Amino acid sequence: MPEAMLLGDLLRQMGISRRAFLKYASYMASLMALPPSVAGVMADGLAKARRQAVIWLSLQECTGCTESLTRSFSPSLEDLIFDFISLDYHHTLQAASGEAAEAARRQSMRENRGKYLVVVDGSVPTADGGVYSVIAGRTNMDMLAETVEHAAAVIAVGTCASFGGLPQADPNPTGAVAITKLVSGKPVINIPGCPPMPQAMAGTITHFLSFGTLPELDALQRPRAFFGETIHDRCYRRSFYERGMFAKSFDDEGARQGWCLYELGCKGPVTYNACASLKWNGGVSFPIQSGHGCIGCSEPRFWDRGGLYRPLSAGTTDVGKVIGIAAAAGAALGAGAAALARQRRASTSAKEA
Amino acid sequence: MELLDFARGTALAIAFAVFVAGTLWRLAGVLLLPRIRDFSPAREGAPPAMLGAVRAVLRRMWPRKEFVQATMFATINSYVFHIGLALVVFGLAPHILFIRNLTGLAWPALPSNLVFGIGVITLAALVGALARRLVHPVLRLLSHTGDYLSWLMTVLPVITGLLATSHLGARYETLLAVHILSVAALLVWFPFGKLMHAVLFAFSRGATGMRFSHRGVNV
Amino acid sequence: MSAVSTARPAHPAYDQQGEQSDETRVDAAMRSFVREFGVTAALHMESCVRCGMCAEACHFYVATGEAKHTPIHKLEPFRRAYLREAGPFAPLVRGLGIVKKLRIDELQKWQELIYDSCTMCGRCTMVCPMGIDIAELVKEARHGMFKAGLVPDRLALMDRAAQKWGSPATPGEDLPDILAEAAKQYGVDIPCDLPQADILVTAAPAELGEHTKALASAAKILKRLGVKWTMHQGGFDASNIGFNNGDLALQERLTRAIIDTALKIGAKTVLLPECGHAYGAARWEAAKWYGKALPVRIVHMTEFLAELIESKRIQVKNVGETVTFHDPCQIVRRGGLQAAPRTVLAALGMDLIEMKDHGVTGYCCGGGGGVVSNVRASPLRHKVFEIKRQQIEATAAKHFVTSCGQCQITFEQGAKFAHWERKTESLLELVADNLVD
Repeated sequence: MPEAMLLGDLLRQMGISRRAFLKYASYMASLMALPPSVAGVMADGLAKARRQAVIWLSLQECTGCTESLTRSFSPSLEDLIFDFISLDYHHTLQAASGEAAEAARRQSMRENRGKYLVVVDGSVPTADGGVYSVIAGRTNMDMLAETVEHAAAVIAVGTCASFGGLPQADPNPTGAVAITKLVSGKPVINIPGCPPMPQAMAGTITHFLSFGTLPELDALQRPRAFFGETIHDRCYRRSFYERGMFAKSFDDEGARQGWCLYELGCKGPVTYNACASLKWNGGVSFPIQSGHGCIGCSEPRFWDRGGLYRPLSAGTTDVGKVIGIAAAAGAALGAGAAALARQRRASTSAKEA
Repeated sequence: MELLDFARGTALAIAFAVFVAGTLWRLAGVLLLPRIRDFSPAREGAPPAMLGAVRAVLRRMWPRKEFVQATMFATINSYVFHIGLALVVFGLAPHILFIRNLTGLAWPALPSNLVFGIGVITLAALVGALARRLVHPVLRLLSHTGDYLSWLMTVLPVITGLLATSHLGARYETLLAVHILSVAALLVWFPFGKLMHAVLFAFSRGATGMRFSHRGVNV
Repeated sequence: MSAVSTARPAHPAYDQQGEQSDETRVDAAMRSFVREFGVTAALHMESCVRCGMCAEACHFYVATGEAKHTPIHKLEPFRRAYLREAGPFAPLVRGLGIVKKLRIDELQKWQELIYDSCTMCGRCTMVCPMGIDIAELVKEARHGMFKAGLVPDRLALMDRAAQKWGSPATPGEDLPDILAEAAKQYGVDIPCDLPQADILVTAAPAELGEHTKALASAAKILKRLGVKWTMHQGGFDASNIGFNNGDLALQERLTRAIIDTALKIGAKTVLLPECGHAYGAARWEAAKWYGKALPVRIVHMTEFLAELIESKRIQVKNVGETVTFHDPCQIVRRGGLQAAPRTVLAALGMDLIEMKDHGVTGYCCGGGGGVVSNVRASPLRHKVFEIKRQQIEATAAKHFVTSCGQCQITFEQGAKFAHWERKTESLLELVADNLVD
C-alpha cells in the first residue's frame, strides 16, 4: 500500500491543476446544493485530506452497486477519488483473494482503527443463523459486526443494504434485513437505488472526505442532496401528468408521444432520487425518458407494493374475496335484524288483546 | 411510505369489507321487513306498480315547478356538489385506474386540470351546504351529529384530493395516503349515516311511486 | 342518530285521556309504533337526509316561519322508536344507547306538533326528494298516540261519540228522522234502511246536521238516474274519525259498518259523500280489514258526478261565470281525483281560474286531519288560512267551489274570523241545482 499522501499532493503529481481541482469542488458543491462559497472550503478540505481507508463489504448483493459506481464515460474525478481512497477490501476490484484478502481487511481495520469507512452493499440474511450468505466461512452478520465495531461511519449503498431490497421481498426466505437493523452506535448513511446513482455515492464520499462529517440526511438517513426530491418533482413529462395525458400501454399513441406513464405504474411521485435531474450513464437518459415508468427502486419495499405496473391510485390487495365474504355476512346480519324486528312486531300484537 | 402502503392495502380492504357488509346489512334489514299489501283496487288506467315506482324515481330528480322557487338553494347547490363529485370520482384518470383495479372497467378520462376546477367548485358547494345547515333554523333543528359527520366524511376526500393533486402541505406519499385513508373512512361511515341515501333513494321514492300510481296520482 | 333536538322551554298544553300510568302510556305508544314498521315505513324512516325542503311545502311552516313545523320533525319520536325497535341496527342502538328511550314528557310535548300543526295533507310528500310519505307516517304515528291516551280532548270527545253512535254527529237511530225532515224540507225522497238496494249512500257529519241540503242534492241526482239506492242506519257516516285520530279499532268498526251493510243489502256500490278523509278510509284502506279485494265498488261523490256527466246520464245547465276550485287534499293529492271536479266544472260551462297552487300541489284548507275540530289549534289555523284566502282572492273568480264538507267548514270558519265575505259552494249542490230536466 502506498504512503499516506495528501490528496492535493497526489493530484499535483498526476498533473491536475489547482484550477481544475477547484472546478471539481464547485461541481460537487452545486451537485449537493451547497452554497458556492463552500467550493473553496471543499477544495481546501480535499487538498488536505489524507488517503481514506475504505473497507467495502459485499454481502447478499448482486454487484450492481459496484457496477454503477465504476461506470465512467468521460474523464471524471470519480476515478480519482477511487484512486485516492485506500480501497483496502472489495471482492470485485481487489487483486488479492481468499485468506490474503481477509488478512488485508483485518490489517486495515487494525491500522486505521476508529478512522476507516465501511461501505456495505447487499442485505444481511438472518434466517437460520445467517447461513444464506457466507464469506470466508463466516456469516455476513458476523463479518459486519466485526468490521463496523471500530469504523468511523457506515455507508449502506444500494436498496438492499439500505432497506433490505429484493432479497427482503415477500416471503423473504433468507430473513434479509437492512444494515441499519444490525448496526447501532455508529453513523449510518443510506444511499439507496437499485442500483444507486454513481453521483450519489461519489458525492457522499467526497463530502465526508472534505468536511469529515456526514451530509444532511432525511428521515430514512439518505443524503438530502440526492434524495431530497422525487422523480416526479423533476420529471420532464410533468406537464402531461398535470393535463391528464397518459400512455395507456407501451407503444400506444400516448407512449410514442412521450406522455406521462402514471397509468403504466410509474412510481415517480413517491420515489426520492436524482434520476430525473442528473440522469444515468453520464446524463444520457433515465427510465421514464426511455418509456418505462419509475419502479421506485430507491424506496423501501419497492418490490412488495402490488407490482411495478400497478398505478399508485390502485389498491394493492385483491378485494374480490373480501367483498364476497362481506356481502354474505352483511346480508345475513340484515336478514337476522329483520327477523328480530318481525319478532318484536309479532310480540306486540300478541300482547294486545 | 408505510402509511401509503397501509392505505392502499389493509385500510382499503377493511374499508371495503365494512362498506359492503354494512350496506347490505342495512338494506336487507329494511327490505326484508313485512310487506303490508294493498288490497284496494287500483285507479282505472293505473300503470303497473314497478312502472309507477320507476317514474317516481326519475321525476323526483327535480322538484315540481311549484316548489322550485322555495327549494332553489338546496336543489341547485346539492346538484352542484353531487354532479361535481361524480365528475371528479369518475372523470379523473387515477380514479378510473382505482376502479379498473377493482372491477376491470375503464373509460376515457377528463383533462386533469378541468377535474381540479370541478373539485374546487364541488368543495365550495359543500362548504355552502354546511354553512346553510349551520345557519338555517329548519336545518339546525333537524340536523344531528351524524349529519355533520356525513358532511365531514364527504368533504375530506375532496380537500385531501385537491391537496394531493397540488402537492400542497406535505410530501406527496403522505398526501396520497391521507387521501386514500379519507376515502376509506367515507366507506366505513357510509352504511351508518345519511350517506346511505345514495342506495335508499330509489327504494324510498319507488315505494311512494307505487302507492300513488296505484291511486292515480303522479308523484 | 341522537336524541330529539331540545325545543324551547315553555311546554304547550297537552291533553290526556284515561287513568294509565306514564309508564303504561309510553309502553302502549311504543308497542303501537313497532307494529307500523313494515318495509315502506322503514324505508321512509331511513331515508331522510335532513334537506329541509318539506318545510317549504308545509302551510304551517310557510305561515308561521317556525322551524318546529317542519314536517319530518313532526315524526321525531316515531323515528327514535323505529331506530330502537325495528331498524337494522336496533340491537346495537339499544345496547349502546345511541338513541335514547322515549319519555312521557316527550310524547306529551309531541301531541301539539302531530295533531295541531299537521293536517296530513301530504304536500310535504310531494316535495321530498327522497319520496318520503310524511303524511302517511304522521297518520301511523297517531295510532301510538291514541293508544297512549294522548289525543287532543276535542278529538277524543268526538271519538267517544263515534264509538257510541257510529258517527260523531248523531246516533244511527236518529237517522230516519233526520232524513225524513230533509226530505220534507227539500221535497225529495231520501230512502232509509231499505232491505235491498244497488247503491248504499253515506254522509258526512255536517250533512247530518246543519247541512242536510247535501243529502237532498244527492237524492235529486240519484232520482234522475233511476237507480235503487238507500241510506242505512247500519252504516251511514263515512267520515271515519278513527282514521283521523289514530283510533284503529274505531276506524275498522266504522269501515266495517258501511261495507258490511252494503253487502247485507246487496249493494254493488258505496257512494261516499263530499268528504276527504272518508275517501282515504274507505277507498284505500277498507280492503285491509278484510285481507282481500272487496266485492263492492267505493266511489266518491265527485268522481261519481264526473262519471255521470261524461256518460251523459245526467246533464247540467251552462252556468258560465268564473270559478276557482279548492282541491281537497285527501281526494286529489292523496286520492287521485284531480280531473273529476274539473270535468264537472267544465260541463257547467264555468271558466276555471286556477289558484297559484292547485291540483296535487294545492294548499290544504288548513282544517284537515281533525285540525278544524281541534279548537285548541284555532289560532294556528287562522294564520294558515291567510295563505288560502290570498290565493283565492288573487284569482278574482266569482265562484269559489270545493267538494269536501270539512274544507267547507274550515273555509266558513276562516271567513268569519277574517271578516271575509267570500261564500264557499259545494260542487254537489252546484250540480244538483243546475240539473237539466
